[in-house]
This record gives sequence, structure tokens and C-alpha cells, in this order.
Amino acid sequence: MTFASWTRRAVLGAAAATLATAVLPATTVPVQAQSLDKATVGVLALSSSGPIFIAKAKGYFEREGLDVTLSMFTSAQQVPVAVASGDVDFGVTGLTAGFYNLAAKGAITMIAAQSRDEPGFPLSAYVATNAAHAAGLTKPSELKGKRIAITTIGSTFHYMIGILGQKYGFTVKDVTMVPLQDVPKMVAAFKGGQVDAILAPSTVARQLAADGAGQILGWAGDETPWQLGALFTGPKTIQTRRPVVEKFVRAYKTALAEYHAAFNVKDSSGALVKGPGYDALLTIIADATKQKPEIVTAGLPYVDPNAKLLIDDVVNQVKFWQSEGQVDKTLDAKSIMDLSFIGQ
Amino acid sequence: MLDSQTTLAAPQPVRFRGGGFTVRRHPWAALAAFVLLIGLWEGASRLGLASPLFLPPPSAVGAALAGMILDGSLWLNLKASLLRIGVGWSLGTLGGMIVGFAMGIGSLARAVGVPLVSAFFPIPKIALLPLFILWFGIGEPSKFATIGFGVFFPTVIATYSAIDSVPRNLIRMAQSFGLPWRSILRSIVLPGALPGILAGFRITASIALILVVAAEMIGAEYGIGAFVLMAGNLMQTDTLLAGVLVMSALGLTIGTLLSVLERRLLVWR
Repeated sequence: MTFASWTRRAVLGAAAATLATAVLPATTVPVQAQSLDKATVGVLALSSSGPIFIAKAKGYFEREGLDVTLSMFTSAQQVPVAVASGDVDFGVTGLTAGFYNLAAKGAITMIAAQSRDEPGFPLSAYVATNAAHAAGLTKPSELKGKRIAITTIGSTFHYMIGILGQKYGFTVKDVTMVPLQDVPKMVAAFKGGQVDAILAPSTVARQLAADGAGQILGWAGDETPWQLGALFTGPKTIQTRRPVVEKFVRAYKTALAEYHAAFNVKDSSGALVKGPGYDALLTIIADATKQKPEIVTAGLPYVDPNAKLLIDDVVNQVKFWQSEGQVDKTLDAKSIMDLSFIGQ
Repeated sequence: MLDSQTTLAAPQPVRFRGGGFTVRRHPWAALAAFVLLIGLWEGASRLGLASPLFLPPPSAVGAALAGMILDGSLWLNLKASLLRIGVGWSLGTLGGMIVGFAMGIGSLARAVGVPLVSAFFPIPKIALLPLFILWFGIGEPSKFATIGFGVFFPTVIATYSAIDSVPRNLIRMAQSFGLPWRSILRSIVLPGALPGILAGFRITASIALILVVAAEMIGAEYGIGAFVLMAGNLMQTDTLLAGVLVMSALGLTIGTLLSVLERRLLVWR
């Protein structure tokens, strides 16, 4: 890998240098063409990766002197693996037990926040079947003792049940979690009445409610705000290419602030207001996620304008996974963060 | 001249040149290769050539396996999976053999069955999982169904082509001796088709092992497939490999059992 990139870079650099000096001595060649540092970032085609799409589309990375390539992934598990293996330099995704296991082995380090679950931002819903609803399941606090479909053990949904239990005084042992691997299978089990409830992304939850297949009990953001995802990179990248990481985070923060101002600002009554550049940014995210703008609007997550992580929640996540026996007991949450780039 | 004549006359020892391609038994070679491979693997990890995350050393995999045995989770997972494989495989094999026999013997059944099998066999069972959930629920029936369907079609194909390959002249001889239809079936067609059917069992047993992982994607709490999936999701690579090791040991055991069965049933050869 290193050999391949070295040759490519050498060849490209030599070619660019020849062009600049020999062929076009008189014309002004853009200096940046040679000096841009290359970096790749692994993302999912979801609106939670919105700030990355904005930074790319509006040229914030170029402005910092970075040539950033987006690498699209289809599942949250793959992104930290790709960062750990060195296939991509940065990654932004949700925090799962698998993520912490990779971090515990020293393969990845969190450097800034991605989105978080916040009151008033509907991202993930607790949805009850009509039968369970009729039998008295009307509030998220009543999920204790129920059968709940989730994607996988160790997923963000698993933690959402855990943190809900922490709030209402039950543990995940008090519910029956049914892991079904992916959302289509969860919906199939839900519609077939095999479970009492599911935790579903907003689009799926709204569709189920619209079809009359179930009742939305509440939103995870309203019940249990938590740090959904993070921007992370390999410890080696931080050691050997610190300037690149600094530039990347600066561009990311510029986009983050713009995203926050456009999508996350509330008026005095608590209702969301359209901020500056709303439509233009919405188009960027809709294009990148290949979704209709009206669907994107319905599930735009909250981001901290300064990329600050909810450290307490990350510590709680690590403790939760450790108590579940899914993350190494010796892992110290503080050791897998390097927040010097965002000054936290 | 004289010299050469004397040499020609003298009995010249001839080197034995045959036997170069005969198979000799090397009972320890396979074991030695395994030991060498594991040694290299462990060594590479110890020397830091391979990261324990990307390739956990055999000692870590062994430790994970020992942990599974000690806390009893291995037995719990194995029991759940063996039940699913046992029931699913038996159902699929029984159904497949009945249909396969019908297709092998009756020409109408064959005319109907061959296009149907060709149409349904290539459907990936994993793609049907959401439907299986709706039809059979998320309990054991959907898992039996996933394995059963996967085993059914190869068994049908193996059975009817095995019946096809029973020597025709034996059947004609029996017919000309006036043997009743039943005896022809019992003493000629069935034993003649058995090697082919048993070869089919070997394939379907492996298919059942592969499909148990897919079947346990559907809300399984225990099971070796569910265990492997969970370890993968949690990025616990050593546990993942321990689970894979158990699965391949299971495959080896089933293969050995089938060899014993073959030796027993095919004594007539």
C-alpha cells in the first residue's frame, strides 16, 4: 500500500512539476495543484454526515490545503475498520461497541464530535405495534419487560435501550432484545407482530406510523440525549501527519458551524427556524445522500457548532458496554480521545 | 570393441523406474503442516509482524475458545445450532428425497419437477429472510425453514440424478427375469442410487452449516452462527476466529460421520 501510493504520488508529482516548469512557463499555474495534501474520509450516505458533505461541496477542505476524497460505506461497522486498516484516514459514524473495541486495541482515536441526539431533533423513535399499544404500551418508560427488535448486539440501538433503562430504572436484562441484523428484517418482524416494539430511524418510524402499522411512543433525543457519533482517525495519522489532521478539523468545524446555524437554531418558542443558506445546504446534503430534500429535513440531526463531544456520555457508553461484557474492562474512555484539535 | 562387448554381456543392474506416481501414506505430514502453519502464525504475531487486531495469534484464539468452554457458552451455542441443523437438515433431506425419488422414477413428476427446481434452486435463501419472518415468525420455525429450503433443492437434484445413473442394463435384466417392480426398486435402484445420494448428503451438510449463520441472523439469542455474527459486530476478532474454528470442527465431525455411514451402507460395492 505504501509502495503503491508512493509511486503514484511520485509519478503525479513529477508530471505536475514537468507541466508547471517546462510546458507552461509563462502562464500562472495554480500553486495549490501541487501543494494540496491528500486525505480520505469514510462516511455513510446519511444526513448525520452532512457537515462533511458541506465542507467538501463548499471547498472548505481545499481552502485549508487538503484534497479530500469521500469514501462511501454502507454500514456503520465498516468505517472504523477501514480507518483501523489504513484504507481511509478519517471516519465519521455512530459509536458502537465494535468501535470501542477497535479503539481499545489502539487502532482509532476520537478527535471531534459528529451528531448527537438532542431534545427536539427526531432521529430514532420507539415504535410500538398496534397490539402492544392497545395492551397498554403508550410511553417509552413502559418498554420494560417487552420484546424489542434491534439491529445487532453492540449497536447504537442497543445502547439507546440501555440508556433509556438507566433513566427509568431498568437494565437491558429486563427487556428481550431481538437482534435481526438490519432494518428490513426488523420491519418484517414488527409488521408480523413478532415483537412488541422496535427502535427505528425517523424515516422508517414515520413510514410505519403513516401505514397504520404502529404507534410512535417517543424519540430517543427527547428521552435520552447522547453522543451519537464522532470524527475519528488513526493514532498513527495524528503522530505522523498532525498538520493534516489540524487542517481537516478546521475545515470540518467551519462546515459544522454553518450546518448548526442553518439547521439547529431554535426561536424563543423552541421551534426550529431556517438559518442562513438553509436551501443551499439542504441541496448539498440531499445530493450526497441521494434522498429527497423533504426526507432529509425530517431527520436532520443536531451538531455542536464547535464539535465538542459529550465526554460524560462517552464515558457512560464505555461503562455500559463494559457492564455488558462487550468491551474490554481495562479500557479507559479518556485514553481513546484526543480533543486537542477542537480545544476541548 | 572388446571392452564394450564385455560390458554388454555382463548383467547390468537396472534402476527401478516405475512407482514414481504411486500414492504412499504419510500419516504425519498433514499434522506437521498444521503445526508448522500455526507455529508460523503465532511467531508472526509474537514478533509483531501481524497486528493482533488483524490476525489474532492462535494463543488468543485458544484463550477465547477456552473461555467459551469454561463459562459454558460453547455448549449453549452448540446445542442451539445443532438442534437447528439437525431438524432443518432432516426436514430438507426427507422432503428432497421424496421429491427426488418421484422425479427419478416417474416421468410426469420429472417433467413438472425439473423446471420448478431450476426456477427455485438459485433463489438466495438470505434474500428471503424477511419473508420467512412473516411466514414463520422469528422463533425456531423460520430457522428450520431457512436450513430446510437450502438443503431441499440440492437433495432433489442429487437424488434424481443418482437414480438416473443406476445402470439401465441391470434394471432391464431384472425386468426380463420378471422381478416385481417393488423388488427392482428395493434391490437395484435404491442401492445403485445410494452412492450419489450420500455424496449429496456431504454437500447438503456443508450447506446446512453455512446456512445456520444466515438462519441465526433472525433474532437468535444462542447459536454458533449468532455467536460468530456478534463477535464480528463487536470487532472481537479472536472470539470470531474461535467461533469459526468451532464451525469448521463441526464440519469435520459431520464429514467423518458421513464417511462412516458411507462405509456401512456401501458394503455391497
